[in-house]
Amino acid sequence: MSSHPRVPGHADPGRSTMVTRRHALLPSTALLLVAPETRAEILPGGTGMPWRPFAGHPPEVVKPGPWVFFTPEEGAAVEALVDRLIPPDPETPGGKDCGCAVFIDRELAGGYGTASGIYMSPPFLPATPEQGLQAPLAPAQFYRSMLAALDQFCRAAYAGKTFAQLPDGEKDQIITRMEDGSLQLQGTVAKPFFEILLRDTRQGFFADPVYGGNRDMAAWKMIGFPGARYDYRDWVERHNERYPHPPISIAGG
Amino acid sequence: MRSGALRLALPALALVLIVSMAARAQTPNKQSFEVIEHGRYMATAADCTACHTVKGGQPFAGGGALETPFGVLLAPNITPDLQTGIGGWTDDAFVNAVQNGIGHGGIYLYPAMPYTYYSKMTRADVIAIRAYLDTVQPVHNRVVANQLPFPFNQRETMVGWNALYFRPGDFKPDPSQSEEWNRGAYLVEGAEHCGLCHTPKNAMGGDEGGRAMQGSALQNWYAPDLTGNRHAGLGDWTVDDIVLYLKTGRNRYDIASGPMAEAVTNSTSHLTDADLRAMAVYLKSLPPGGRAAPQPISDQDPAMQHGRAIYDNQCAACHGGGGQGIVGLFPRLSAAPLVQQEQAASLIRVVLEGSRAVATAGAPTGPAMPSFAWQLPDADIADVITYIRNAWGNAAPAVSANDVGKMRQALHREAQQAP
Ligand code: HEC
Ligand code: HEC
Ligand code: HEC
Repeated sequence: MSSHPRVPGHADPGRSTMVTRRHALLPSTALLLVAPETRAEILPGGTGMPWRPFAGHPPEVVKPGPWVFFTPEEGAAVEALVDRLIPPDPETPGGKDCGCAVFIDRELAGGYGTASGIYMSPPFLPATPEQGLQAPLAPAQFYRSMLAALDQFCRAAYAGKTFAQLPDGEKDQIITRMEDGSLQLQGTVAKPFFEILLRDTRQGFFADPVYGGNRDMAAWKMIGFPGARYDYRDWVERHNERYPHPPISIAGG
Repeated sequence: MRSGALRLALPALALVLIVSMAARAQTPNKQSFEVIEHGRYMATAADCTACHTVKGGQPFAGGGALETPFGVLLAPNITPDLQTGIGGWTDDAFVNAVQNGIGHGGIYLYPAMPYTYYSKMTRADVIAIRAYLDTVQPVHNRVVANQLPFPFNQRETMVGWNALYFRPGDFKPDPSQSEEWNRGAYLVEGAEHCGLCHTPKNAMGGDEGGRAMQGSALQNWYAPDLTGNRHAGLGDWTVDDIVLYLKTGRNRYDIASGPMAEAVTNSTSHLTDADLRAMAVYLKSLPPGGRAAPQPISDQDPAMQHGRAIYDNQCAACHGGGGQGIVGLFPRLSAAPLVQQEQAASLIRVVLEGSRAVATAGAPTGPAMPSFAWQLPDADIADVITYIRNAWGNAAPAVSANDVGKMRQALHREAQQAP
């Protein structure tokens, strides 16, 4: 039944107690408190879209916490890497404190890690970039094998130390050689790994915080990006003025 | 042969015509198209279907539950079915139920059936409704209306209630007013029963004396002030604003939601422009009632500052940085009486569970307000509503996190009960 007069005078439960004391006239109150049961339905006759109360698909928000894909050693290495790719400065936290490693961990644990959306069967041939990934390893396996290779390389070259334990200068040297293609890790050129790592780190830094990186929207604050706002009509005509509002995440707030 | 039969038939027809014209002088001819069509129109104005038709069910077959805090009342079957509907009722019995609250066998009806308002209709209009109801599909559906537990189920208690709050009698035109005004008053106070929702009720559920149309809480909604109050009522609305709202469900101030959306969909959007204009003229004549505008809460207040930040983040995109809205799409919040009612129930409700605005033939897009329950805690919702009630020249009492928490629970209960 469609809803109708709901209860004049009945929002307040205190009132009904008052009513119960006046027995003679009791029912009347009850009656005016009409609250038909099916209220928030599609409005009949209208062409409006279907609607339900409390409708919405809240985004799943990544919570910081234990690694989901990485081992603790892998996690430490990736945190060290991202913190050299985006080093902290007095105004903005670095890649590690911004959660870039958490972002990469969570995406490797999901569809990106298993390349679930990509054709991953041979043949793997030299190809143009447009032809996509030409490797048998999905990103999760690729990270795992390259991190293991990096670990072995560092322990052999730096007296048993892991990448994370090296001083910043030595970390930067390794990264520079990964980038210029001169470093081989266990017989594999490290440059492709560097490129994927750099891309994923940037994405973690600038993506919405719901994915685990860009903590406190630090990256957006740094560049003055207002985030998931979607209407600037009030600002279209206002020139040479600083947009004053802080960024917001798709999770709100 | 054929012509012979015809000649015989003609005088008989003439006789029928004469008889029926004589009958019409006293009661309307219930078989005539005009009367039935008029009855359909008045049944629409009176929105009988709102309670007597289950959503998606057979028209007027009843059975829908009206939930009350004291128990459930089912709206009866008013199709012309002989056993379970009103097919066997005399016109007098029908009029007695609709206008005096006396049901079959002399039982007292509860005023959830708005006979207190329908009493103001003319007998001819009520008989026309009966004529129309006689034409709808009879449906065999036995409904036992009274599902209330003892002692609420004792109908005799209505005798006392009626004595106190029920003033039976037809609408008395005011000769000092225009015909249009009188037509509007007749509809608003009678068939349309606007006061059932918009007039504050006392603890007994009777209309509060002297406060007609000053705004009233409905369960988890608030039906706003419709008097000439310029702060919370329709003082600044023009006749055209009111007509447009009742016809299309929206105007430059507001878009109807909830129970008002249904009243617009089922009833007012189907009325003639002349009747809507008459109702608007009457509403515009209501002297300003209710409270004067309070002092707005200072924008230095911490709740206002917090509320403003939330507004800029979450609401400004649609409702505009200055609360100006977009006509027909996003209701304005500044200088909108709805936002400045004494009680904020409708606002809290809409922000919590979202809302689909009414869609009418005149304005077929029903825009939706998203639900914020999942992302804003009670205190945030309280502050943002306090803010919209006191920004841009608005002024209304603050909303507390406790108010929001109670509404959140009540709405979740409602949503669970909905089929
Ligand atoms: C706000 C809801 C509501 C509206 C609007 C409404 N009714 Fe009712 N009606 C009820 C309820 C509830 C009852 C049962 C009351 C009772 O048993 O005490 C009822 C009872 C009746 C009865 C008595 C039926 C019986 O079997 O005893 C008739 C006749 C009736 N309504 C006709 C109408 C007509 C005609 C209209 C429109 C002009 C109308 N109603 C509008 C709620 C409503
Ligand atoms: C079933 C209960 C109900 C009935 C009957 C009803 N209203 Fe309403 N009305 C409401 C509610 C609730 C609102 C608030 C809607 C909202 O929040 O959008 C409202 C809103 C309004 C508004 C908008 C006021 C503003 O300040 O924005 C107008 C005008 C109005 N009603 C007029 C009428 C008229 C005229 C009638 C009779 C024809 C009527 N209503 C019958 C419940 C009702
Ligand atoms: C995506 C656009 C959108 C956003 C964002 C939005 N609203 Fe709305 N709002 C609407 C629409 C559309 C309606 C009309 C719904 C209706 O009438 O049922 C509405 C209705 C309302 C109403 C009822 C006003 C009336 O006249 O019926 C209030 C109060 C309100 N919004 C407050 C807010 C607040 C506070 C926020 C931020 C927390 C907000 N809105 C965010 C679109 C939006």
